[in-house]
Amino acid sequence: MPRNWHLSSAVGLGAVKVTRGAPIGEALAGLMLTVPAGLAYLVMLLLPTVATILLAFTDYELGLPDWNWIGLGNFTEMFEDRGFGVALRNTIIYVGFVTPISILLGLGIALLIESGIRGRATFRAIFFLPVVSLTVAMAAAWQYLLHPTIGPLNGLLRTIGVSSPPYWLSSSDWVLLSLSAIGIWENIGYNMVLFLAGLTAIPRELYHAAEVDGSKTWLDRFRLVTWPLLGPTTLFVLTITMIRSIRVFDTVAVLTQGGPNKASEVLLHTMYKEGFTFLRLGYSAAITLVFLVMVLGLVWLQTKALDKRVHYG
Amino acid sequence: MDKPRERSFLADTPRLVSLGLVGLLLLMPYIWMVSASLKPLDELFRASLSLWPERFHAVENYSRVFSQVPVLHYLWNGIVVCAGILFFQLLFAVPAGYALAKLRFPGRDIAFGLVMLGLLVPPHVPALPLYVTFSKLGLLNTYAALILPFTISVFAIFLFRQFFRALPDELIHAARLDGIGEFEIVWRIILPNSWPAATAFAIFSVVAHWNDLFWPLIVIEGQARATPALGVLYFRSDEAGDDFAALMAAAVIMTLPLVLAFLFAQRRFVEGIATTGLKG
Amino acid sequence: MKSMLQPFTRRAVSSLALGALVAPAVKAQSITEITVHYSQPHVFRESKEAVAAAFMRREPGIRINWVTTPNYDEGTQLILRQAVAGTQADLTYQGLNRLRVLAERGICQDLTPFLHREGSAAEQGYSPTILGLGQAGGMQAGLAYAVSTMITYLNLDVLRRIGVEPEAVSTNWDSIIELAERIARLPNAPDPIYYDIGEWAWSALLYGHGGQYMSGDERRFLMESPQGLAAMRLYQRILRDGRMPNLTTPAAQQAFGAGRIAIRFGSTAFLRNVIQAVGQNFQLATTIMPVIDAERGRLQVGGSAGMLLARDPVKQEAAWKFLRFSTSAEGTALMVQNTGYVPCNQLAVDDPRWLAEFYLRNPLFAAAMRQLPITVAWYAFPGANGVRITQTISDNLQRLVESRATPEQVVQDMQREVTRLLPRNT
Repeated sequence: MPRNWHLSSAVGLGAVKVTRGAPIGEALAGLMLTVPAGLAYLVMLLLPTVATILLAFTDYELGLPDWNWIGLGNFTEMFEDRGFGVALRNTIIYVGFVTPISILLGLGIALLIESGIRGRATFRAIFFLPVVSLTVAMAAAWQYLLHPTIGPLNGLLRTIGVSSPPYWLSSSDWVLLSLSAIGIWENIGYNMVLFLAGLTAIPRELYHAAEVDGSKTWLDRFRLVTWPLLGPTTLFVLTITMIRSIRVFDTVAVLTQGGPNKASEVLLHTMYKEGFTFLRLGYSAAITLVFLVMVLGLVWLQTKALDKRVHYG
Repeated sequence: MDKPRERSFLADTPRLVSLGLVGLLLLMPYIWMVSASLKPLDELFRASLSLWPERFHAVENYSRVFSQVPVLHYLWNGIVVCAGILFFQLLFAVPAGYALAKLRFPGRDIAFGLVMLGLLVPPHVPALPLYVTFSKLGLLNTYAALILPFTISVFAIFLFRQFFRALPDELIHAARLDGIGEFEIVWRIILPNSWPAATAFAIFSVVAHWNDLFWPLIVIEGQARATPALGVLYFRSDEAGDDFAALMAAAVIMTLPLVLAFLFAQRRFVEGIATTGLKG
Repeated sequence: MKSMLQPFTRRAVSSLALGALVAPAVKAQSITEITVHYSQPHVFRESKEAVAAAFMRREPGIRINWVTTPNYDEGTQLILRQAVAGTQADLTYQGLNRLRVLAERGICQDLTPFLHREGSAAEQGYSPTILGLGQAGGMQAGLAYAVSTMITYLNLDVLRRIGVEPEAVSTNWDSIIELAERIARLPNAPDPIYYDIGEWAWSALLYGHGGQYMSGDERRFLMESPQGLAAMRLYQRILRDGRMPNLTTPAAQQAFGAGRIAIRFGSTAFLRNVIQAVGQNFQLATTIMPVIDAERGRLQVGGSAGMLLARDPVKQEAAWKFLRFSTSAEGTALMVQNTGYVPCNQLAVDDPRWLAEFYLRNPLFAAAMRQLPITVAWYAFPGANGVRITQTISDNLQRLVESRATPEQVVQDMQREVTRLLPRNT
């Protein structure tokens, strides 16, 4: 049993008999314990979301007194709109970059930190710092660091011989990559902490056992013990990172506003822009609905594919 | 990883150096932000990376922030709002997480499915209907408006469910055998054991809501209930350009409490996540 | 015993409270509170408070509560949300291209009757040009408060390196481009020219040719016109021969301050910021935009105007008084002194006692003001997609900046895409 469970003195761990009398009380208790959360969920999340989604079938604009039901009108417009297609593609590319790399780096750093004793607390703090930062402020910093003509990164590139370094945030070719790099930066600390927790929870005895059984190198131990036992953690991290990166918004809104020429436009930013800048809330809600359906499908697929492989007991 | 033997400093060097280098890279934006808050505007964007200011302008920059924005008031608002949100999130999520993890009741799987669904909904979606409702109730510009929408955290429910799933069933069965009622079980056994996970969650929650811009921008007008993030936003302007040096100083001021809080809580934080038992 | 006293004391307390409420109400009738909203607080706060202070000396019975939003966009959203929810600011200073949106939704008052009450508008300093800036949705939707135009920023140190004195800079595009080519040949040359990105900045070229976006009846988009094509080709020339770097506007602002851009064409709204960013790095000068068509050339403005929203007669009156004062000669002079935007009252421009000293001590700000006579309203496209059309124009312009299309292609594509976005019932 994990060492930090503490039991109130009255409860002992004698022989356990499972009684059948409990279920009704248990069911009632279960329901009552979830009611407060359920109410909050209903009022603060579910109903407003449904209201917004219903808007997807109207042509409602903020401030206009009259509006109409237009059925699937918004959706047909969406699929004909080049902007939506570009946003979809960009989001997929962004997730494709950020998810695997930030997970791998997060894992690598967690492993590195855990493999020694010195400076653990310091390094944990250092790598978690990006998570704590305010995007608006960080954006200004990134914009300077990545400045094409006076920024230090390109200055460095020029000294090592690159004659015309890329225009990181203002070139259609590079902007998505730059934003992905910033996304990785933001997510490394997050994933590192989650992996650190997973690593800490692996019982030491298993490593001793593996050693006794003949695995000598670090790689062997990793393959035999660490990686399999990290399975559930990895699944959790994968889900969370994918969701976080699909929901990318802040960096795009502050750094590029979707530009140049939609090269960095992403789904949530399009949704925001349509609803809050162009004031077309009906259309924006339609984009939201498509977004939710897509993400739902993605998570469902991923859970189905990996759940069996990962959970064993 | 296997039990870290106390290695000699020399043997530890590759690890320290690689972590140090990567760490420095990761910290660059922060370092530059702090350095920028100490400089006058014409020094900020020199073509050469010089971190130490030629003319020390910290006093001007920081005092401009304090003179334009009621900093302490905003920080206080941030504390009240984040504490309030955290309190209600725990209040709702801990029992619900336990119920979803350990108790069998009709509709449990549907409830859990709804929780997972909730994780996907971005914050902009419920925003407008909530705004209209709060407005009609006369609740705009209040702590209530800042706190209420976030009292439900599906992430918290998810996290606590995972955590409580790892609780041994025997514990609860034994308590039931001893005639302890369901609610007493929650109060006397579950709650005391949930502190590690609660600390862990607290960090994620406070960080997210301290830095939240979107919702406060919608429900707050004026300065009475403004949050720290709004204080930083004060110095931005698309048409006339940002008041850059003050923006950096404001960012440092508003981020500092978070950093300090994290440094203080980070040990319990990692232990908390560890005992969440992310084994599904 | 206690329980008997409790209701007694409660009643006593509540009647005391009621009494307390009544008494000050008699005095309170003479104080009207109005809520005034504006954007970009770090730029306009001092000016607004200075105007308010001067105002309250004349009208002590009016108190002002301020509401601010970071940018014009959030400002419009705020007012629209308030319209939906039923609460409202009394007076709002909106970006000039958003007047139409609010006017068409019937949220603001037509100011024409208010103006006529005071006598001749022109005599109060509201020239037809200035009034025109605030007209939208078929009415006088607002009174322009602080206005900005495109101007030319010059790095004099670089110009002197090619042997050009500031007085010798001719304001026409041919000579500017020729200067750019000479600058490009310098050792360790800075980028010669930067032209601010986006539709608003580019419109100076279109309007400068005497063109405009839409036909008079607002049915046709006029990009495929001689002026549209000429403006696009000129833009291409500036980009190519001026060797303009593909930077975002904030990045260019920073590079200019660092001395790495020689000539910048951007809004005068940035001027205060640019002066600080330049600081001691080099000597800065400003001048008007290069003139293309001396007779028909115009300039689209940026900036904000005050719109009257209040419906309650008492608040409406109070809000109107503040609006009028803020755009009067005295109010606009205070605004200029605090922000550097262009004054919106002809009296303040003509009568030397208001601003002569300011422009003497701050000659850099005069460039924009000199262009006031040729300014036109910040155009807002009709229909539900009005804002989106602006974005479409900016996106297409970007293709020229990155050399991915020819001017003719851009004009064609723009014409097609924008026409599709215009309302179909016209």
